[in-house]
Amino acid sequence: MVSTVIAEEQEVGGCRLLLDQIRPAIHAHLDDPVIETFGLTIGFGNEPVLSGVDLPVARHQITAIVGPSGSGKTTFLRSLNRMNDKLRGFRRSGRVELEGQDIYGAGVDPLVVRKRVGMVFQRPNPFPMSIRDNVLAGVKVHKMVPRAALADVAETRLAEVGLWPAVAGRLSDSPYRLSGGQQQLLCLARALAVAPDVLLLDEPTSSLDPVSTEAVEALLLRLAAKVSMVIVTHNLAQARRIADQVAFFCEGRLIEAGPTEAVFESPKRRETGKYLQGQFG
Amino acid sequence: MTSAAASERTLHWAEERTAFSRRLAEKWSLSLTVLALFLLVAPLFWVLGGVTDQAARVWSWHMLTQTTATGGLANAIVGTFVLLAGVLVVAGAIGVGCGVYIAEWAVPRRRLLLRGASEVLSGVPSIVIGYVAYVALVVGLRWGYSLVAAVLALSVLVIPYVAKSTEIAISQVPTSYREGAMALGMGEGHVLGRIVLRSALPGIVTGLTIALAISVGETAPLLYTMSFSNGYPDGHLTHTTMGYLTYVAYIFWDEPSSADQNLAHVAALVLVLLVVALILLGRLLVRLTQRHSEGAGG
Repeated sequence: MVSTVIAEEQEVGGCRLLLDQIRPAIHAHLDDPVIETFGLTIGFGNEPVLSGVDLPVARHQITAIVGPSGSGKTTFLRSLNRMNDKLRGFRRSGRVELEGQDIYGAGVDPLVVRKRVGMVFQRPNPFPMSIRDNVLAGVKVHKMVPRAALADVAETRLAEVGLWPAVAGRLSDSPYRLSGGQQQLLCLARALAVAPDVLLLDEPTSSLDPVSTEAVEALLLRLAAKVSMVIVTHNLAQARRIADQVAFFCEGRLIEAGPTEAVFESPKRRETGKYLQGQFG
Repeated sequence: MTSAAASERTLHWAEERTAFSRRLAEKWSLSLTVLALFLLVAPLFWVLGGVTDQAARVWSWHMLTQTTATGGLANAIVGTFVLLAGVLVVAGAIGVGCGVYIAEWAVPRRRLLLRGASEVLSGVPSIVIGYVAYVALVVGLRWGYSLVAAVLALSVLVIPYVAKSTEIAISQVPTSYREGAMALGMGEGHVLGRIVLRSALPGIVTGLTIALAISVGETAPLLYTMSFSNGYPDGHLTHTTMGYLTYVAYIFWDEPSSADQNLAHVAALVLVLLVVALILLGRLLVRLTQRHSEGAGG
């Protein structure tokens, strides 16, 4: 009798107890994933952060990663384009396949991986250079187009994110004169300019006001047709609004993944349901 | 009187007392800082005024066209600029390189070691550096009095400042810039060159400005490595001497002839103006290159 009560309490506090009996994650099979992880396990020093994550990422869809703080969402996201490589004590086992090729395999250049798998961060981080140079930063480094075409690329990319009307007359201005939302759109344009196959977004709207958030979400929905996206978000309503797939992480494990509707409406795991209902966070 | 009212009064009294002592502390610290500011600024104006006054009394335009042989400063001014250019190239390249290495690549233990070494070097008196350069370069390598020895001695003197300011400037570049650049697939070289150094530029320029200002004002290492002559730089790197301003200010002052003493006054003024011009130029450069920075954005 006593033991049941303790179990209930700990369950409400998180998913630690339930994980004591480790069960395989639940996720739907995807036919043609753009990225797929196999037994991805990551730690920093002696601290384990992710354990055995198997997750396929759907092509040309938006996959939302949700879960409580410290569940390893961002670490997972950053491992998809090798942004963790240089962090102190980084340890990894398992594979991350991009179009069937292990990005951690021998002879794979992390720079090429990062060009194909771009990233947008929690806080807008424009470079300290003009708006035009920001959009073109990656394009110039990779010498993707001749010099004469650079102006066109800048316009196309800024138009793509809906920023062109606002900045057309002041491409030489500092990006820090833009609003937070516009800065984030600029960062999206910069990431898109190197034509990535996959875009990773780490809570891209958490520092933005509702109107800017709406603009970014609308943009992501438009972009999904040509770029596959993985977005980490604390905002469950956002995940529900824009994601095609949802993956729920807890305590460094993938608990459940599947089509958004299915996961939100009829979660197969009790932890998922509790988290989605806001019983712990 | 209830005890509640009594305690309220005590509280009230205590509040007044703390408010009074707070105001007193504010006034006291304000006067101390104003005094400190005065002690900083007063000597500056004293020096500027004194130097300008002395120089104005003996000023004549031909001092800018004649050499020190004929009562002018032209060769000394040119010589000082040549030294500055040399220091800018040598100390700039080595100092910035050291700073980048310490900030970007050195493992923590080596970083500590290098920082320590750099600090020790910056503490070595300039006369000692001059003497070492004399023994090693002028005599040891048989360069004779030479421009190279002078530039190297001055560079050794100021490299620690350049390295330190570069290191600090780089370490203050936000991680988000680097990560943004990495996420575009930029290699380390591109991240460093296009993003990190660009945002660290104000700090680096400030370090270089200080380095040049120190070089402009040094005499001791030059006495050992360059000696002095009434001539212009002759294009040779070794076995050559030339004029420079600090020598005029320092040595001519003691000369018996009043014409030489006058030159010393004017040389002092030109030196001060040169330092001011260097600092303004540095500021201007920073403003021009940083018009896109976060601070400038507003």
